[in-house]
Amino acid sequence: MLINHRRVLQLLAALLLLLIAFPAFAEDVASSHKPVTVPNPATDLWRAVNPQQLPPAQAAMFPRGGSQVQGVQSGVLINQQGQSWRHFRMKQLLPTGGYLLAGAMLAVLLFYFIRGKVLIRDGESDKKIERYSVYERMIHWFMAFIFLFLGFSGLILLFGRSLLLPWMGPELFSILASAAKEGHNLFGPLFLLALVLMFLKFVIRNIYQKGDLTWLLKGGGIIGEHDVPSNFFNMGEKTLFWLLIIVGGLIAISGVVLLFPVFEQGRGIMELSHVVHAIAAVIMLTVIIGHIYIGTIGMQGATEGMTSGYCDLNWAKDHHSWWAQRCIDEGKVLPKQQSVDGHTDNPDSASREGVQ
Amino acid sequence: MIAQLIDGPLWYFSLTVFVLGVLWRIVMILRAGVKKDLAVPRDGGGAGALRAIFSRFVPERTVRRHGKVQLIAGYMFHLGLFALLFLARPHVDFFAEHITGFGWWSLPYWAFIVAAEVAFAGLIMLWLYRLLNPVTRLLSSADDYMGTVLVFLVMLSGCLALAQSVEALRLIHLFLAELLLIYFPFSNLMHAFTFAFSRGYTGATMGRKGIRA
Amino acid sequence: MARMKFYCDAERCIECNGCVTACKNENDVPWGVNRRRVVTIKDGEAGERSLSVACMHCSDAPCAAVCPVNCFYTTDDGLVLHDKDICIGCGYCFYACPFGAPQFPEDGAFASRGKMDKCTFCAGGPEEDNSAEERRKYGSNRLAEGKLPLCAEMCATKALLAGDASVISDIYRKRVVNRGASVLDWGVSYQKASLRSSKGMKGKATMEE
Repeated sequence: MLINHRRVLQLLAALLLLLIAFPAFAEDVASSHKPVTVPNPATDLWRAVNPQQLPPAQAAMFPRGGSQVQGVQSGVLINQQGQSWRHFRMKQLLPTGGYLLAGAMLAVLLFYFIRGKVLIRDGESDKKIERYSVYERMIHWFMAFIFLFLGFSGLILLFGRSLLLPWMGPELFSILASAAKEGHNLFGPLFLLALVLMFLKFVIRNIYQKGDLTWLLKGGGIIGEHDVPSNFFNMGEKTLFWLLIIVGGLIAISGVVLLFPVFEQGRGIMELSHVVHAIAAVIMLTVIIGHIYIGTIGMQGATEGMTSGYCDLNWAKDHHSWWAQRCIDEGKVLPKQQSVDGHTDNPDSASREGVQ
Repeated sequence: MIAQLIDGPLWYFSLTVFVLGVLWRIVMILRAGVKKDLAVPRDGGGAGALRAIFSRFVPERTVRRHGKVQLIAGYMFHLGLFALLFLARPHVDFFAEHITGFGWWSLPYWAFIVAAEVAFAGLIMLWLYRLLNPVTRLLSSADDYMGTVLVFLVMLSGCLALAQSVEALRLIHLFLAELLLIYFPFSNLMHAFTFAFSRGYTGATMGRKGIRA
Repeated sequence: MARMKFYCDAERCIECNGCVTACKNENDVPWGVNRRRVVTIKDGEAGERSLSVACMHCSDAPCAAVCPVNCFYTTDDGLVLHDKDICIGCGYCFYACPFGAPQFPEDGAFASRGKMDKCTFCAGGPEEDNSAEERRKYGSNRLAEGKLPLCAEMCATKALLAGDASVISDIYRKRVVNRGASVLDWGVSYQKASLRSSKGMKGKATMEE
C-alpha cells in the first residue's frame, strides 16, 4: 500500500502528542470529532487473519491465510467460533440442560403426587384388544433400548465432569467416559435405523386428524376428569411421534456429521452440529421423561399394550374411544383368559410345511 | 493381580474347557449312534447330508414369507458376529499372538464397525422377538437367555473398549469372552457346531429315501 | 514463578517452517499431526506476513474448560499440558481452541480418534521427567533439562521467541522501539529506510542507553 510520507509523519506526530502528552484530551477529541483513520497495513493484516469480524462483502476482499501444513483449516490462524462454542457448552447448555432435565423429572414427580395415577374409570375388564403386533413392539423396544443407551452415554459425557468425576476420581471416570464415547459412537447409526423403522411402521396412524385439536384444547383428558375421544393414537402420542421423527432426525443427522470428521468439514460445521445435537437431545430427553412416566407409573393399563401387545377394553374406551368402538364393531375384542392365540405368526402351519 | 489372572491362567482354562467340552459333546453325539436303516437305500445318504447342510442356509419358502424379520435379523447377527470374531483387527492380532501364531487378512476399521452395527441390530431384534412373541417366549429357557445375554455383554464390552487404550475395558471384554467360552459347550450355543449334525442327519435320512429335502 | 509464553514476530518470520520441522523431529510427532504450523496471510501479495502458531498456553484455556474428563492441567510455569491416560479422544478441545492446537492422530470414519496430541512447550507430560513413558507419549522434555522449546531455539531469524513472558516481551519491546516506528505503522521500517538514520537508530536495541 502506498502511503504519503509527509501525511504519515504528521499523523504520527499528532497521535504521539495526543496519546502521550494529553491522554485526557485525546479522549475528548475522539468522542467529539470523527475518529482519525490511520492507513495502517498492520490493521489490514489482522483483518485478513480474521475476516469473520468484517461484513461478508468486505471479508471476501481479504484472502484467507494459507499454510504449508496440510489439513482442514490449517490456514486459519484464529478460530473465532471456538469461543462462542465454549460459551454455549459451558454457560448455556450445561446449566440449562441440567435444570431442564432435573425440572422435568421433578415435574413428573409432582404431577404424580398431585394428580395421581390415571386409573381406568370402570376398572379392568375381562376383555382385551390387540393393540400392537410383535413387529411394532420390537421396533418400539429397539428404539427404546438404543435411545436410553445413547441418552445415558451422552449424559455421562455432558454432565460427568461435574457430577461423577468428583467422587469417581479421574482414572475411573476416564474409563467410564471412554466407554460411553465409544458406545455412543457405535450405537448412534442404529438410532437412525430405529428411526426409519419407526417412521415406516407408525406414520399412517400418526397423521393429524379432526378431533386432535379438541383433544389438545381439553388437555388430553388427563388434567380434567373426563377423557377426550381419540383414534388409535391421540394428539399427544402423535405429537410425540412427530417430535421423535423431526427432533430425533436432527439428532441423527447432526450426530452423523460429528461421527464422520472425514469430509473436510471445518470446525464451524462440527461446532454447529454439536449445538444442534445437544439442544435436540435435551429436548427429546425431556419429552421422553414424560413419555416414560405416562407409559408406566402414570397410567393404569398403559404398559400392557407395549409388552403383551393387548390392552384392556376399558382402558381403550377411556383413552382411545373411537378406536375401541371400531374394534368392538369389527368384532376384534377377545376374552382375556387365552394367552397364546390368534397370532400373526402361526408356528403350527410353518412347521408342518417345513417338513413337507 | 486380577489382570494377570484374566490374561493368563483363566484364558487358558476357559479355552481348554471350550475345546474339550465341544469335543466331548460332539463325540457323545456321534457315539449315540443311529439305528441301522434296513431298507434298501434309493440314493446315497452322504450326498443327501452334504446337500442338506448347505441347502438349509437358504430358508424354506414359508419361513421366507412369514419370518422375514427373524430371517433378516438372524443373518445380520450371524454374519456380523462372524466378521467381528474372525476378521476384526484386534481379534486377528489376539489369535495370532495367543493361538495360531500367524495372522490373516482383517477388515478395515470402518468395515469392522459396520459389522458391529449389523450384529448389534440383529441380536437386539432377535432378542426382542424372543421376548415379545408369545410362542418364542414360551419356548425359551433360561439357557437361551443366558446365551443371548452373554453374547450381548461380550459384544457390548468389546464395543465399549473400541478406543483400545483403556486396559480395564479390554480386560472386562476378555473376561466376559472367557465366561462365554466356559459356558458355550454346555448350552444351546453349541448350535454353532451341531447345526451340521442335525442337518446332516436329516439330509442323510432323506437322501437314503431318495428325497431331496 | 515464571509464566512461559511463545511470541512470534510477524516482521521477522520468513515462513521457513524450520520450527515445524524441529518440533516434529524433536518430539517424534505422529503422522498427520503438526503441533506447530506456519500460517501465511496474503501469500504472494503486498503486505504478506507469516506467523508460527502452536498451543499458546492460554491463561484461561478453552480446551481445559470444555474437556469432558478434565484431562488438562496448568503447570507452575503456566503451561497448559494434558494427560493422555485420561484423554478419551472426543475432539471437544479441538473445537474450542482458537489456534487449532489440539489435534488427533487419526480422524477416520466413526471418529476413530486416538488420544489428543498438542504442543507441550517441550515440557512432556505428567509422567516422571524424561522417562521412556513420557518420551513415548509426549515427546521431549527439554524444560526439565533447563532448555527452551526447540522450535524457538532453532528459529533462524529469531522471530519465534519462547520463555518467561516478562523476558520475551522485553525483547520484543526493544525490537519495536528499534524499528523506529511503533506498531502504528509497520510499513515504515521497510518502505522508508531513511527514517532509521534520521531518528538516530542504529539497528540495535539500546535500552541501556
